[in-house]
Amino acid sequence: MSNSAASETLIGLPMGQVWRIADEYQQAGRLDEAEELLRRVLDAAPRQPDALHLAGLVDFRKGRFAAAAAKVELAIQHGVDTPLYWRNLCTMYERLGRYDDAVNAGERAVALDPADAGAYHNLTVVHYRRLDIDGSIACARQAIALDPTLPGSHFALAEALLLRGELAEGWEEYEWRFRIPGTPPPLPNATAPQWDGAAMPDGALLLVADQGYGDALQFCRYVPWAVARCGQVTLACSPELESLLRPAFPRATIVSRWESAPPYQAWCPLSGLPRLHGTRLDSIPAAPAYLRADPAAATMWRTRLDALVPRGFRRVGVAWAGRPTHNNDSNRSASLATLAPLATVPGIALISLQKGPGQDQIGAYYGRAPLLNLGPELNTFAETAALLEALDLVIVVDTAVGHLAAALGRPVWLLLPYAPDWRWLLGRTDSPWYPSMRLFRQHAPQEWTGVVADAAAALRQMPAVAQR
Amino acid sequence: MSLSPLCPCGSGLRRLNCCEASPGALRPTEAIRHLTPLIERATQALRTGAAGVAERLAIDILELAPGQTGALAVLYEVRKASGPASAVEALIRRLVSLDPNNYWAINEITLLMLGKGSLAEAETHARNAVRVAPEAPQSHNLMGMVLTEARRPQVGEYHYRQVVALSGARDPILLANLAWNLKTQGRMEEARALYQEAARSGPPVMQTLLGWARMEEADRHFDAANEALDRADAIAPENPSILLARAVLLGRMRRHEDALAVLDRVAALSHDGSLGPNELLEKGRLLDQMGRFDDAWAAFADGKRKAREMTGYAYMAEHAQQLAGRMKGFFTAGRLRTLPRGTRRADIAQPLFILGFPRSGTTLVEQSLSAHPRINAGDELPMITEIADLMPRLFESPLTYPEALAELWMGDRREGLDTLRDHYFDKARQLGVLRPGAAWFTDKMPLNETHLGLIGLIFPASPMVHVLRHPLDVVLSVFSNHLTHGFFCAYSLESIAQHMVLVHDLVAHYRAQMALRYLPVRYEDIVERQEESVRGMLDFAGEPFDPACLQFHENRRYARTASYAQVTEKLYASSRFRYRDYLRHLEPVLPVLAPLIERLGYSV
Repeated sequence: MSNSAASETLIGLPMGQVWRIADEYQQAGRLDEAEELLRRVLDAAPRQPDALHLAGLVDFRKGRFAAAAAKVELAIQHGVDTPLYWRNLCTMYERLGRYDDAVNAGERAVALDPADAGAYHNLTVVHYRRLDIDGSIACARQAIALDPTLPGSHFALAEALLLRGELAEGWEEYEWRFRIPGTPPPLPNATAPQWDGAAMPDGALLLVADQGYGDALQFCRYVPWAVARCGQVTLACSPELESLLRPAFPRATIVSRWESAPPYQAWCPLSGLPRLHGTRLDSIPAAPAYLRADPAAATMWRTRLDALVPRGFRRVGVAWAGRPTHNNDSNRSASLATLAPLATVPGIALISLQKGPGQDQIGAYYGRAPLLNLGPELNTFAETAALLEALDLVIVVDTAVGHLAAALGRPVWLLLPYAPDWRWLLGRTDSPWYPSMRLFRQHAPQEWTGVVADAAAALRQMPAVAQR
Repeated sequence: MSLSPLCPCGSGLRRLNCCEASPGALRPTEAIRHLTPLIERATQALRTGAAGVAERLAIDILELAPGQTGALAVLYEVRKASGPASAVEALIRRLVSLDPNNYWAINEITLLMLGKGSLAEAETHARNAVRVAPEAPQSHNLMGMVLTEARRPQVGEYHYRQVVALSGARDPILLANLAWNLKTQGRMEEARALYQEAARSGPPVMQTLLGWARMEEADRHFDAANEALDRADAIAPENPSILLARAVLLGRMRRHEDALAVLDRVAALSHDGSLGPNELLEKGRLLDQMGRFDDAWAAFADGKRKAREMTGYAYMAEHAQQLAGRMKGFFTAGRLRTLPRGTRRADIAQPLFILGFPRSGTTLVEQSLSAHPRINAGDELPMITEIADLMPRLFESPLTYPEALAELWMGDRREGLDTLRDHYFDKARQLGVLRPGAAWFTDKMPLNETHLGLIGLIFPASPMVHVLRHPLDVVLSVFSNHLTHGFFCAYSLESIAQHMVLVHDLVAHYRAQMALRYLPVRYEDIVERQEESVRGMLDFAGEPFDPACLQFHENRRYARTASYAQVTEKLYASSRFRYRDYLRHLEPVLPVLAPLIERLGYSV
């Protein structure tokens, strides 16, 4: 290229070598250093496709998706038709919510390199986001056919199958989740094999509350089933769950430190129990309430709310954001501002259950319904459970507090993204997992207005509460 | 040998024997006894009107003995008659500090501070006067005057009545002072009767008639106000204060041109042909009502400039930022989780806090709510700020507020918030805001929201109604009125905007960190959808709707704030978005306010 000589003079190294160093930095997560090197390369050679592509990857990893896509588009414009560029551009568009563009980019990638399993995998994800589940499953199967050891594609296939209600095959594919690179093992230093579900009347089983809090709350329903099959069951969970789960499962030992767990003959992640149980849609163990709050703590909250919430107002718990590090957080989390239509419903008070950075949005809430910020006072799920008992309704995005409310049998409305997590299935407004739950689905990707309006309209239809 | 230069305070003394005098410069009483004849001569000269001689002798004595109180008193009197004001203040301060039990000096410094508007300091000295001479009517008169001005008129009334009891007489001036006190409590009939008695029992006094006129104007008896002003005018023709009161009255009668003509007369009579700050702001408001917006803005800007020049006050930006920073640093979710909360007293009416930046509509909300039979108007109650100041002493803490709240972690301070709560209620009772039959009393001290965290700790179940208004309307309104709240932010356009942003940021912080029984209410909604808004506020407080709340303009209660005239009129839509007529002039603060405007849900 005409200006590469200038860059060599400027940097003092051949440009290819600089690019390689930048790539190493990028792969090692040293993004600032990679970015600085690439900036210098691009100053000297603004159209250098590999540098543009790599700079796009750095942008992507820094969460600057639009800038990333723009750079890769430029790389494509100034380079050869490189399948890798299209493959990566597919994911960048996907993160930007530009699903049609993402499909076109992904299809271009597989057209250029039909043997690229990674490109099929990216298309699997995009099709899922567009709720083209047939397309998603087809791409996943194609990726697996090309590379049967690709864990991400097995997992993506699991999600699509489970979403469609094909649980048997879905559970099997779901087992690949721990093989995804970078996923920590659920049980560090396991000293016994993973449980196969066979009865162990004299054996000790260690269950591990893996995945997020929501998963733990959803799958802990299987603890009694495991207790019935094993002589001794221990459930290892995070401290935030401990005080909630201990009274719920008195025949199991609940621990929050590995060193507190007794010796075991087998172990199993909680999220592996549905497979072992052979759960089908019509055999989900779905008791109306399988967790319970401390009655005294619930009474304390009721008394407190009586003092803080206007008499006769319905107490509606809300949470609008999940853990920001969740890989689908940009789709599942909303903002308090998007819940504004709920605040226009007369006779309700919003009780914020929000924890984490989303809590700051409360300072900018000026809706008509009074909002009581109780999130800062909730440290454990047991405390949250007690508060939930004192509420009339909970309206939340797909986050742990929704699972908790439903596991307690409290009325809960879940606001779902267009392509929801597999457990919420397709189309339906109820959940076979939770009898007290009602599902509200986005009408279009990343479009909260309609789904919140639906929930607000339903809220208006609810009968008033009796005067407290 | 070079002599120390003259003191910049203007006393006429050398600096080292005046404001920079060290304790070592004071001479033992015994050593200066030979000066006694000179002091007597100086005093005699002053009595006989020979001010020059008195001044010379006093300076001579003080150069020899800087702590000689007799000479200080003489020089103070001389300067009091001819200035400068800085010397007057410096001399009386020194006198009080050297001779703390000198009743005459205490009286002088109290009146000086009262005249200057330094009410906190005036109160300190007035209380000393009562301590020194509890049976002297004037001690109580000072307390009456100071506390009436400090918006604690109920306590002031007690002291005025003590004056009557101790003196055994009904002095017309005292009666007029008491009448003014009652006027500020909204007890217009009693005030009117006292003004009438004062007028009957002595020769006409201009100040009495002026106060009476202002009382009648506030009570919407414009003819009676006019008549009292006529009588005052007969005593002191073309007095600027009377003319200003006349202009205000004419403005309320919507005779804007006539009002402007009166202000022009005030300007013509002044030494430099111009108006003072208050007159300029009044002129601006008249011009605004006449639709002459550019002229109005010019008058406001001129008024603010003059106020700055005359008082030397300017926004204490650094103090404000420091305070906000310390509040944000202390009131965090993690810390608040560990702090106790005040408990609710069931035996007493509870405070209902009306929060909001000055001129955002808090008076309107208070007038609406206090028309309800179960809600009494408490007005601008000073207790939250007082508690913040008192807390370190009450908790015996080496820290200041808010850090002194750390004492609540101590075993013997776990109930500290209830101590603060009871202090608040004691003061509320003294101020007469606990009306029998009322479940609530309002507290609408402007900028109480700065202490939202403290309020939330002491009164966790008390409703907080936060009145929001378009920030540009608020800025405009503060710019057109004289206010001292908020670290003197009202003295310039930029600092009003700056402080508003700071306070709203602080409120947002508190709300994100803790559970507050908080309801935002928009002024614009009250204007547009009055009943819905009022119902919302009453629901929030848990009280049934009462139609009287919609007729707030018929609420005969007198609002003691700059809004008193507006809240006697029905809601009018033109009070919304007035900024649009001044947008060009408000441009300098748009960048500062833009994020806040958006966050509050407004637009430009």
